[in-house]
Order: sequence, then structure tokens, then C-alpha cells
Amino acid sequence: MESGYWLIATVAIPLIAGGVMVLIPDERKDVVRWVSAAVGAVLFAISTYVFFMYEVGGDQYQFFIRWAWLEDVGFLGENGISLAFGIDGIAAPMVLLTGVVAFGGALISWKIEHHNKDFFALFWVLVSGVYGTFTALDLFFFFFWYEVAVLPMYLLIAVWGSSSVFPTFARTKEYSAMKLTIMLVSASILIFIGIFAVFHEAGAGTFDLQTLYAYQFDPRFQKIVFPLFVIGCGVLAGLWPFHTWSPDGHVSAPTAVSMLHAGVLMKLGAFGIIRLGIQLLPEGATFWMPGLMILATANVVYGAFAATAQRDFKYMIGYSSVSHMGLVLMGLATMNVIGVNGAVLQMFSHGVMTAMFFAMVGSVYDQAHTRDMTLFSGLVHRMPLFVFFFGIAGLASLGLPGLSGFIAEFHVFGGAFRTYPWAGALGIFAAAMTAVYILRMMSMSFFGQFNEQWSGLQEMTLLERGTAALLLGFMLFMGLWPAPFIDRIQESVRNLPGVS
Amino acid sequence: MDDAWLLPAIPVAAFVILLLTSQYLPRRGDWVAIIGMAAAFAIVFPIGKDVADAIGAGEFHGSARSWQWLEIPGYIEIRMGTFVDQITLVMLFCVTLVALLVMIYSTGYMHGDRRYGWFYAVISLFVASMLGLVLADNLLLLYFSWELVGLCSMLLIGYYNDRQSAAEAAKKAFVTTRIGDVGLLIGIIILFTQTGTFNIGEILHAAEAGDIQREWLTAAAVCVLAGAVGKSAQFPLHVWLPDAMEGPTPVSALIHAATMVVAGVYLVARMLPLFEVVRGMPELITALGLTTTMLAAFMGLAQRDIKRVVAYSTLNSLGLMFVALGSGAVGAAMLYLFAHAFFKALLFLASGSVIHATEEQEVDKLGGLWGKLPLTAPAFVIGALAMAGLVPLSGFWAKDEILVGVDHGHLTPIVLWTLIVSLPITALYMTRVVMLTFFGEPKDHHVHEHAHESAPVMTMPLLLLAVLAVVSGFVVFEGVGEALGFHSGWLGFIFNEAEGPHHFEVQWGLTILSVVLVVAGIVGGVWFWGGRAEPARRAGAFSPFFYRMFLNRFYFDEVYQFAIDKVVLAAGRVVAVFDRVVVNDTGVNGPGEATDFAASLGKRQQTGLLPNYALAIVVGIVVIAAVAFGYRG
Repeated sequence: MESGYWLIATVAIPLIAGGVMVLIPDERKDVVRWVSAAVGAVLFAISTYVFFMYEVGGDQYQFFIRWAWLEDVGFLGENGISLAFGIDGIAAPMVLLTGVVAFGGALISWKIEHHNKDFFALFWVLVSGVYGTFTALDLFFFFFWYEVAVLPMYLLIAVWGSSSVFPTFARTKEYSAMKLTIMLVSASILIFIGIFAVFHEAGAGTFDLQTLYAYQFDPRFQKIVFPLFVIGCGVLAGLWPFHTWSPDGHVSAPTAVSMLHAGVLMKLGAFGIIRLGIQLLPEGATFWMPGLMILATANVVYGAFAATAQRDFKYMIGYSSVSHMGLVLMGLATMNVIGVNGAVLQMFSHGVMTAMFFAMVGSVYDQAHTRDMTLFSGLVHRMPLFVFFFGIAGLASLGLPGLSGFIAEFHVFGGAFRTYPWAGALGIFAAAMTAVYILRMMSMSFFGQFNEQWSGLQEMTLLERGTAALLLGFMLFMGLWPAPFIDRIQESVRNLPGVS
Repeated sequence: MDDAWLLPAIPVAAFVILLLTSQYLPRRGDWVAIIGMAAAFAIVFPIGKDVADAIGAGEFHGSARSWQWLEIPGYIEIRMGTFVDQITLVMLFCVTLVALLVMIYSTGYMHGDRRYGWFYAVISLFVASMLGLVLADNLLLLYFSWELVGLCSMLLIGYYNDRQSAAEAAKKAFVTTRIGDVGLLIGIIILFTQTGTFNIGEILHAAEAGDIQREWLTAAAVCVLAGAVGKSAQFPLHVWLPDAMEGPTPVSALIHAATMVVAGVYLVARMLPLFEVVRGMPELITALGLTTTMLAAFMGLAQRDIKRVVAYSTLNSLGLMFVALGSGAVGAAMLYLFAHAFFKALLFLASGSVIHATEEQEVDKLGGLWGKLPLTAPAFVIGALAMAGLVPLSGFWAKDEILVGVDHGHLTPIVLWTLIVSLPITALYMTRVVMLTFFGEPKDHHVHEHAHESAPVMTMPLLLLAVLAVVSGFVVFEGVGEALGFHSGWLGFIFNEAEGPHHFEVQWGLTILSVVLVVAGIVGGVWFWGGRAEPARRAGAFSPFFYRMFLNRFYFDEVYQFAIDKVVLAAGRVVAVFDRVVVNDTGVNGPGEATDFAASLGKRQQTGLLPNYALAIVVGIVVIAAVAFGYRG
């Protein structure tokens, strides 16, 4: 039995790092960078350790630890509210993902000059919230960490982000930040209501998730409350038609925040659907999943079409995220083992892939100060490595076998075909559309005659190469040897109630 | 046979080495790729011997070996493994031999190119994927390799990355074949959902035993066929292949003639038992093949680019193979595939040698090169005659076998007669390109004077392929087959399991008719294009309408382009605008503005003037008092 202090460390280290940032003098930007890189490396190491030490065939929740916080007071009984941490096979890959993306994000943000200590303070608080949500086994603290992860985003986008101006429309970063925050916070109100409904209905005076999982909720109650969770969490997962915060938010956010947000934060939504929706209210889930399947299919197809019409690199990736998160939701909606497995695989795969995308765009945007793909041409002659890594991310996103995307999509479609063949077929069709928009972008900006206007562009920096190589390594790992992921995920997925 | 996994593993290793270190290696590491390829080629022989021994020893149903790749106990188990039987062996031999020759040839053709190392790296990855594809014992590994093959093809078509046209052609090839691949993936998933396995043998078994629901089986068969149609450039997904000529010529020879494009043929051959139990499927395969053959033959008549003519001849051949498969003549299709690999690689490499020598690929500007290119020219002519199917070159035997197979098949005689009609047309356009390139008076004297024969590294593979193009057809004779170690000759060898002994046979009527027609086509071509007049224009004037149709490839590309621009991308733009205007500006800003409006109404009450508040207090007290008293009665 591994110690739960590892999980507490993943939450505490970034939180402390956020505090330490405040103490570093404003002009010592180098100290901020080195401390952040070190924190990232340590978190990456711990996350990797946790992932690999998670014992296949072991307990349902491992690395478990509980610190009592409030109990036997007022309306709270035993274990009323406790700092309980633990991971199952679904959370383990998510912890690893967070470690990878947070480390990459810290390295990519090396270049930030503008008040970088404030940036990193918020950044690490956000990371702490993400870890907390993935590892929390207490409903109260689940919500707490969830909000901690969402709120720093407003400042990160509004202060360090970038506005975009197009001939037909403009988006200021303040607008995007506001829209993102308001939408996500309104959605969490639904979750909040749901949490208290569950607490009250169970009547056990505890927010402890394992206790609540054992409780059989009345089917009518489940059917009423489940939509609160699925929509509340779904907004963060980019559920159509509530996805609209995500392309604007990702476009306006600075590189590392886009990476973390699209790469990890959106997964919190899908994770919430599993933890709160499926696990607490399995009958509600069974009842409502056909509806989710329709919305998820809309996600997949709609996102793919919208992406073909974008001129901005980041908007294209943003809409492709909408499409790919739709695959996650589609996998969850199948409610069968293969499909839900695929959903979790896709959460990881989309995380590393989209982080790579945003890191690459950042590398060219920081120099060119534009992301309009029609302005570029023949970049491969100037930045071959950049094109190589961007191309790999593109190939992963269009589902090329050997990279992570394929193995995930394949499970999602395999699951979908068991219950909803039409959705599976539409999903595969939309995955093929990915090839259209990725190759359209590459042939437009990367190949052909080099446009001399960009002769000042430099190849990726060493740190960017390192980040890209790290992400690429995980894409290949999952694409070529998925067994370590699937072994962990499938065990917990089979334990999910209502999943057959 | 158990070591068959080494075959793809060696080129993969070469790929990794080249990708990471090629810029530090002498000669950019081309020798790594070539040595790896030679090793792979060498391994084919012991495998072949094992297979031949196994057949000699009695019942042989292929040899399989696999390793578990991932598992969800009770739901899904995927094993990666190899499966070797006779069809595999034919493919292995063709792929490794042609790849080896092409790699050697490329040391001359690609010499001094700035991305030389990358070229060899991708070619190695391509060969590895192709070998993985033919060795795969399950559909998932097959799809895995199938997509990697497509990726390598795209990378190599777009190899000259400063040309926009190359990038466009690469995109077109990838997207077009991917339309088919969507089908293939859907088909594979349907088969998995129905049978619970990816193993090809088990799936075929289930299909033959009727364990798969009829509707699903039909859907799966159509979907899998779509994949084959895309990769083998059959009508209606044939449009990408001619444009693929944007890649370097050795790539065209290897990928777009001898190996990748026959992957579809291989897939159909491998899955034939599944197709045969679905009603209407053989007819569909035949119809697609026949359409492709005829379209390609006509389009080949009018093309001006020497490589494009050869590309259309490839379409023509692929169509023939599909027709053979549709008629159930697997042996004939595989024989054609075998012969085709050599004579088509020969044609491409020889045209590459012409392009290398003259730096010109428009036949309108060539001519009179026979004496100038003493090795290339005869090699090309041999390839062209083999393609036309002149006795006794390899193309003749293979084509004859297909005609016999179609005649024996259960399909309508229209198929046979249409095929026969296509023969003289094939001979005609192959003769045309030969006459325009190597004979007659030079059309561009500058080009003509600068022409010089290529280096031996390029001409030696040509000669070897020329020899193979002449003799490879002879394997149909039992004596030759036995001498090479195949029990009961080539066809007996291929057919050992499926249909019992099958012997080469000649139907004299058909054979004589086809020879006469081919000779007529050649003579017609020599007569028409051999003279001094401006030949292309003369042909154009013959029937301007048809000439334009052929030259513009029946306007397929335009129609597809229209569909993509005006339907798919337009739909994308509509969705994008919808997302901004309806979802965002109305759905998100709407509530915001509504709140704003409500607040603007509400804030009017907050005037900040004491009398207003006093009035409100008084009115409030009066109302409350009235209500309270009224309530009390």
C-alpha cells in the first residue's frame, strides 16, 4: 500500500510554490523561472511515480489518506468533511497527464517577462486545484479544488492573454476571460446544487464519496439530479452547445495556460461526469445517456466543421478540441466498458496532443505576433523542427495509428458501435474531417514557397524542443504500448456501476 | 516462418537510425537503409522455403504467430501477430525486391538532394509498414500499417516541399484515400462488434459459417471494400494517383506502382471469402475494376506527361486485378500483381531515367531518344510491351490468366468483352508514349542535345527489372515453378489451400484474339504517332470533344473540387458563422445584455434624491397598512 502523502504532495507542492512566488522579489525573474521549472520537474516525477506505482489488481482506491477536517458538528456526522485523497485507475492517468502538462507549461512559460512571478503564482495555484480535483475523495473538497482550478484562469487570461482582431469580428482578452469565468461559474452552481441534493438525500451527514457511493439513491431522485452534474461538469468539458467559452478562451490565453486549460482542465469536466454523475447516480446516468450521446455527436461533428473554416491557428485547435472532447463524452455516453475506457484514454491522449499544439503555436506566435495561417507559407524551410512537431500533433489528432489518438478513438468508436452505431459512424466521419482541416492548414502555412516576410523567424528554442519531445514521448508511449494505461483504466471502469 | 516479424522490424530500425543520426552519417546514411533492405530481402527466402516445405508436407493453412498487445479481460483482446501464407509470400518478395532496387537506383537519382537522409528514412518506414500490412494476422494491425503506408506516401508525394503543387497533391492523396479508410475502419469495427475478434482467419471463418448477421456483414463488406478502393485508386476514388506523380520518380515506382497501390488488391484477395458470401459483392468489385480500367485506358491516350501516362497505365492494371478478384480468380490476380510489380517499376524507373537525362517530362518536347539512351530506351520499351501484354513478356501470361479466369467466372460475358476491348487501347497508348519519347524527330533540340545516359547505379536496376519483366511470366509453367521450388508450379502453389490443384491453361481462341488485338494496337500506334507531324495535335483534331474529355480526365477532379469547396468547406463556414452569431452573440451575449437591460430599468429607481425615497417609504407604508387592514377584514 503506497502512502497517500504522495497525493498530498501533488496538491501541497504547487500550492506552496504559489505562495513562495509571492515572496520572490519582482526583479528576480530568473529565480522565478528556476523555481518553477524545479517545481514542474518534481511534480512530473511524483506523478510518474504515482502512475507506475498504482498497483493493477490492487485496492479500488489506492494512495488513500484521510485527514479529518470537520466531523460530528452541526449537521455533519462521522467523516463529515475530510481531506480525503485517493486515486483509482481512472484518476491515475489523469495525475500523470497533469504532471506532464504542468511541467511542459512551466518550461514553455520561461519566456514570460511581464510580472512573471504573479503569473507563476496563479499558475501553480491552478495546478494545485487540478491535482486536488483528480485525487479528492470527498464531495466538498472535490468542489473546492474544482473552483480553485477554474478561478485563476480569469486573471491569467485577462492579464497575460492576447486579443485577436479579424476583419469580421474581434475578441478582446477581457471579453474571453469574462465569458469563460461566468460560464464556468454558472455551471458550477448546478454542481453545487447537485452536491447538496445528494448530501441531503443520503442523509448520512457526510460528504465522503466512498460512503455516498454505497448509498442507493431513489431512481426518481437520480433522474432529476443527474442532469445537474452532467451539464454542470459538461460545460467545462466543452459540451455542445455550452462549448462556446472554450475556443475564445483558448485563443486568448497565454501559451502555457492554453496548454493546461485545453490539456487538463477540460478533462476535469469529463472526470466530474464520471466521479459525480456515473458513480453517484448510475441509474440517472443510464436514463440520460442517450441524450448525452446526441449532444456528444453534435460536439464531434460541429467542432470538426467549424475547425475547417478557421484562419487562426488557435481557433482551429480550439474547435478541434471541441470535436475531440466530444469523443470523450461520446465514450462516456456509451456506458459500456470499451467506450468508457476509450473516453479515459481520449482524455489523456487529447491532453498531451492539444498541449503540443498550443506549445507549437506559442513558439511561432511569440515571434510573429500573428496566428493567421493565411499569412504564412513555406515555414518548413525556416523551422523544420517546428513543422515536424506540429505535424506529429496533427497526425495524432487525425487518429494516425502509432500515436495516442488512434488507440483512444478506436475504443470510443468500438464502444459506440455496440450501442449507437449511427453515432460511431458519424464520429469516424468527423475524425476523417480532422484530416481535412489539419492538412489544409499544413499545406497553407508550412509548405510551398517560403514567404520572405518571415525570414526573421527562429527555430524553436531548446526549452520548447524539450517540451515537445516530452509530449511526443507520451504520445508514442500510449500509441505503441497502451497496455499500462488500459490495465489501470479498465479495472476501475469495470467497477463503475451501470457500465456493462 | 516464425521469424517473419523481423521483416518489418529491420526497416523500422533503419528508419529510427536515419531519423536521429542521418545528418552525422557518411552519405547521409543511405547505406543503412539499403543494407537493412537487403537483409529483409534475404530473409524472404528462408521463409519461402519453409512455406514450400510445409506445403510439400501436406495440409498448409498459413503459419501464424502473435503476441498480446492489450486486453480488457472479457471484452477485448488484441494480439499483434504475423500470418504467412502463399499470398503473403508473393507480396513479401515483390515488396522487398522492388524496394531494394529502388533504393539503389535512388542513390543516383536523388544524389545531392538536400533532404537525401529524410528520403531514405521515409522509404524505410514505408517498406516496414508495407511489410507489416501484408504480414498482419489481424485487421487492427493491418489498419495500423495501412495508415502508416498512407502517411509515408503523403510525405513522399510532398517531398519537394517548396512546390505548392506537391503539397496539394500530398493532401489530395491523403484525404482521398482517407475517405476509403473511414470505410475500412467502420468495417473493421463492425466485424469486431459482430465477432469479438480482429483475427482475420477467425473473422473469415465466422463469415463463412454464417455467424455474422446478414445486414451487418453486407455493411462491413462494403466498408472494407471502400478502403481497398481508396488505396488501390479504383473508380470513384482514383483521382489521387495521377497527381501523386508530384513525388520523386523512384517513389512513384515503389509506392504508386509496385507496392502500396496493390495493398487494396491484397486486402480484397485476403478477405475474398468474406466478399463471396455477400450477395452482389463480387459483381460490385468487378464493376468498379472494369470502370477503372476503361476510364484509365481512355485517359491514358491523351496525357502529355510521360509519368502520368504510366500512372494511368497503373490504374488500368489495378482495374484488371479487381476484375480478376471479382471473378474469383485470386491466382490470376496475384500473378498479375507479381508481374506488374516488375514491369511497372521498370516503366517508372525508366521514365525517371529519361527525366533525369533530359530534365523534361512532357512527351511533346521529347522524341528521338532511342540512340541517346542506349540502356534506358530498350528497358522502357520492354516495360511498355509487357504492359501492353505482348507475347511472350510477363504481362501477356498474367493478362491471359485473367481473361481465362473471367471467362470461367459466373459473371456476364459483357465483362469479358469489355476487357477485350480495353486491350488494344492499352497497347495503343503505351505505343504512343514510346513513339513520342524515343522515336520520331526530336521536338526540342536543346533537350535532345543535352540528353545523356544515366549512371550505372540507375541503369543496372533497370536492366534487372527488364529481365524480370521478360521472364517473370514464365512461372506459370509447372516446370519453371518446380525448378524454382514451388510444388506443382506457381498456380498450384498459390492455390494449394483454397481450390485444390489449379493448372495453367490456355484457351487458344481467347489467347489468339488478345494477341491479335494487342498487335493491332501497337501497329496502330506506330502508324499514327511514328511520323514527323505534330502528333499530339493530330490526335486532338481527330475528335476534339473526346480529346478534351480524356485530357481533362472526364472532369472528375473538377467535380470533386467543387464538392469540397462548395459543400464541405462551405458547410464549415456556415457552422463557424453560426457558432459566432447564434451561439455566442445571441446565446452568451444575449443573457448578458438582458441582464444589463433589466439592471438599467432597476437602477432608475436609485435616483439618490431624498424626496423620492421618502415618497417610496410613505407609499410603501400606506400599501402595507391597507393590505394588512384589508386582510383582517
